[in-house]
Amino acid sequence: MMSSPASPSIGPLGIEEWVGELAAGLGMTLYLYFTALIIGFALGLLLALARQYGGRISSRIATGYIDLIRGTPLLAQLFLIYTMPYSLNAWLSPDGPPVINTRWSFQLLGLTYLNFPILASIVALGLNSAAYQAEYMRGAMASLGTGQVLAAQSLGMTKHEIFRYVIIPQAFRRMIPSWSNEASYLPKYTVIATFVSVEDLFGKAKLVVARTFLALETYILVGVVYLILITIIARILDKLYEKTKIPGL
Amino acid sequence: MSDIVLRVEDVWKSFGDLQVLRGISFDVAESEVKVIFGPSGSGKSTLLRCINYLDPPDKGEIYLRGKRLGDPDTDINKIRSRIGFVFQHFNLFAHLKAIDNVAIGPEKVLGLSKEEARERAMRALKHVKMDKWADHYPAQLSGGQQQRVGIARALAMETDVILFDEPTSALDPELIGEVLQTMLDIAKEGTTMVVVTHEMGFARSVADEMIFIDGGVIVERGTPHHFFTSPESERVQQFLHKLDELYGQTRDERRTIAERDQE
Ligand SMILES: Nc1ncnc2c1ncn2[C@@H]1O[C@H](COP(=O)(O)OP(=O)(O)OP(=O)(O)O)[C@@H](O)[C@H]1O
Ligand SMILES: [Mg+2]
Repeated sequence: MMSSPASPSIGPLGIEEWVGELAAGLGMTLYLYFTALIIGFALGLLLALARQYGGRISSRIATGYIDLIRGTPLLAQLFLIYTMPYSLNAWLSPDGPPVINTRWSFQLLGLTYLNFPILASIVALGLNSAAYQAEYMRGAMASLGTGQVLAAQSLGMTKHEIFRYVIIPQAFRRMIPSWSNEASYLPKYTVIATFVSVEDLFGKAKLVVARTFLALETYILVGVVYLILITIIARILDKLYEKTKIPGL
Repeated sequence: MSDIVLRVEDVWKSFGDLQVLRGISFDVAESEVKVIFGPSGSGKSTLLRCINYLDPPDKGEIYLRGKRLGDPDTDINKIRSRIGFVFQHFNLFAHLKAIDNVAIGPEKVLGLSKEEARERAMRALKHVKMDKWADHYPAQLSGGQQQRVGIARALAMETDVILFDEPTSALDPELIGEVLQTMLDIAKEGTTMVVVTHEMGFARSVADEMIFIDGGVIVERGTPHHFFTSPESERVQQFLHKLDELYGQTRDERRTIAERDQE
């Protein structure tokens, strides 16, 4: 008897039946992307403020962090975070039960939205993105010049008010073009989650290839999905930039 | 004395090895217009920044209505809100319309309501004849218009004194007149002003006292009449002569404005 595929192909690409799996992977990719982008934004803003306006010590720390992150591979950062609990367990209790549990997970409606590998991926991507976002923000802050800050100071504004009403509104606007780079490249970097067995879009693609051997079709399809995703993000940011542009500038 | 608004007392300031101010003292009385002038690099901008503690003096004291700046129990931001500053390069907030540039101080610093602050800002803009441009952003305004908004921003704070740092020296010649006119107007209304400028026409028509600074010290001080008829030091004579050569042509024209206004 001829061996037939477990599930026969039903379309020209041959992987149509796997679309559901790939869609779930896309969902995970978007989830990693947005959480990392938001964490990176918040932490990046703090780093940029510390570097540009902080005292000597805080600015040194911020600079050191940014240089360290940008100077080492993202994958190495992820592995460091991912293996940390295992190393600590081996060190804290060489023979006994693990001190840090890595086998937990939170599920809702049958979807796992947080477990240790996902958390490690989000933290690694967020911490990494923060360093890059900080540099874009700092560049935008530096381009403001000191004149407006002097003007705000002489009105009697506090440091906090100057950040809030003068620096941040302008830095955010100026930052958009260069920040778009980070925002639109970040989806690609989420593929690293695959290496700690998170089932993101790329992870699912590998799974599909392992089952169907249709590597070319699968990777092209997935590549196109990343491309569309990145194009949409870039378009949205372009629109945002146009919308928030300061008239006359 | 109670009518002393601002007292500058033996102010010293250096940047590294560079001694920029070496013991400057003067008083500014209510409604007085003090003009400060002197060669480039003589420390005029540094002096103004010392006065509102943007660059605190190394030594010496600044008093605003008897209150000593830099005292641990005086809030420097409160004091600064009572000292206006008009900058050479305007330094308007680029992301705010003219009206919001003027309203932001009264609202965020003085704590007025949004409506009150906007009303006050509109009055200040009218004062400098910029009310028609209230909804324009700085980049949509000429230099002269931007500077008038800068003056309105200081006026709206209703400060005790306004400091001007070469307010017209970054402007094209044809735009200087409108800014000087605005300054003449507010000077005549009794605004207390300390003005760093080389516009001798302005000094001649409204200065109560002129102070010539060189090398971080006051070389000579006196009324405009004194400076334009019988300046004592050679440095002042040379400097005034140079100004005449540099700005002579446009100055005549501007003096006409000033003199016309005096009549
Ligand atoms: N923050 C600073 N750090 C170091 N040096 C400074 C600083 N600010 C001013 N200086 C120096 O102090 C001197 C006086 O500068 P200042 O700007 O007060 O002169 P000025 O009289 O306003 O000159 P100008 O007419 O060119 O505006 C200059 O030599 C300047 O280079
Ligand atoms: Mg100067």
